[in-house]
Amino acid sequence: MVDPTRCGDVADALAEVATGAASGPDRARVLAHLADCPDCRRELEELTRVADEVLLVAPEHDPPAGFEGAVLARIAALTAEPGAPAVPAAPPPPPAESEPDPVVTALRPRRWQRVLPYAAAAAVAGLVGAGLVWQATSEERDVAASYRETLDVANGRYFHAAPIVDDGGTQVGHVFLYQGEPSWVFTVLDDTVDPGAYEVVVTTEDWSEPVAELEVDGSGGGAGATVDADIYQIERVELVGAGGATFTADLSGDSPP
Amino acid sequence: MSDEALLAGMAAGDADAMAAFVRRHQGRVYGLALSVVGVPAIAEEVAQEAFVRAWRHAGNYDARKAQASTWLLTITRNVAIDVLRVRRELAVEPAVVAEMLISPTNDSDRVADSERITAALRALPREQAMAVLLSVHFGLTAREISEKEQIPLGTAKTRIRTGLSRLRAMLEVSHG
Ligand SMILES: [Zn+2]
Repeated sequence: MVDPTRCGDVADALAEVATGAASGPDRARVLAHLADCPDCRRELEELTRVADEVLLVAPEHDPPAGFEGAVLARIAALTAEPGAPAVPAAPPPPPAESEPDPVVTALRPRRWQRVLPYAAAAAVAGLVGAGLVWQATSEERDVAASYRETLDVANGRYFHAAPIVDDGGTQVGHVFLYQGEPSWVFTVLDDTVDPGAYEVVVTTEDWSEPVAELEVDGSGGGAGATVDADIYQIERVELVGAGGATFTADLSGDSPP
Repeated sequence: MSDEALLAGMAAGDADAMAAFVRRHQGRVYGLALSVVGVPAIAEEVAQEAFVRAWRHAGNYDARKAQASTWLLTITRNVAIDVLRVRRELAVEPAVVAEMLISPTNDSDRVADSERITAALRALPREQAMAVLLSVHFGLTAREISEKEQIPLGTAKTRIRTGLSRLRAMLEVSHG
């Protein structure tokens, strides 16, 4: 990023990120700019709110009969542990305003987080990881939250976040991975690392390649790139500094059991 | 019970909260899905998937950022657009649907909280309102809009951006 993208250069793409229609590369470009532009983050937040309100113009329409039951059945299936009895012993439900569906009653005592299929588990792991990352400082949390919102709004596919640490295990930044067409990786280093250029190297089971260069100045920096992989295939993201320093985000530990 | 309370219940795995949430919002979610994909059977699939995602991500809902209904509708739109990207034969005439969405003949079906945004969209130059609706509702990129409307790419981009900015200005004013 020798010539940092200016606000005017991303204004059109920013509007399309707000509406949710931006292509993957446009989205990555906008996010790269947002890393160090609070004005555009605020702009995106406002435009996103406006764009979302536009969705209210669709008229209401009753779904076909049985819709509610079909949704609840899908959730029950999602929550059921493989090999577990269909209806485990459960305490009787408290009185409800309507008679609960038996399948619904059965799943109440369970913790759904434990038992989701992989795609959903990855999203949950991403959220949990991101939660940890965001405890660092309030400013970092705001930056991260704005990414999260962008990600939520931009497509709704699952994403993943993990801390980037130095040799000693101290957190120096974070990585965001987004599953889409194409998928992409976005890295942010904070202002505690030495300024200079860092190569972003992505490693999967099958390959390891530099995908972007991240330029860090006195206030940190961020860089993103699209990658030809599903995010769950990515085992590691490394930032290799010109001076030899290497920072790592280890993603392999988040694999499903 | 408020949407916030229902979503908190859903995040904790409470299926009764989910059932109540579905009953409250199904007409809206299905209506949006139908307006995007156009085919009832597919709209039903989309609406179901939207609720499943809402269940999965309920813990991620932030009441300070959006109303629950808006949050749920963005999820629904995202699912519907994913479907459109695979099945291009659906949504043959998004521009016609977009016109209908803000047409006065639809006013009897309109949900109360949509009056403000509907009025603002009608106050925009028509081509900007269309560009915004095609982008927000159908996920069409500026390039796709430029092809459909047979206008230069730069024009399509400007219509989306300017349309959104003007909507923001109008909504700010009406917020008082
Ligand atoms: Zn900017």
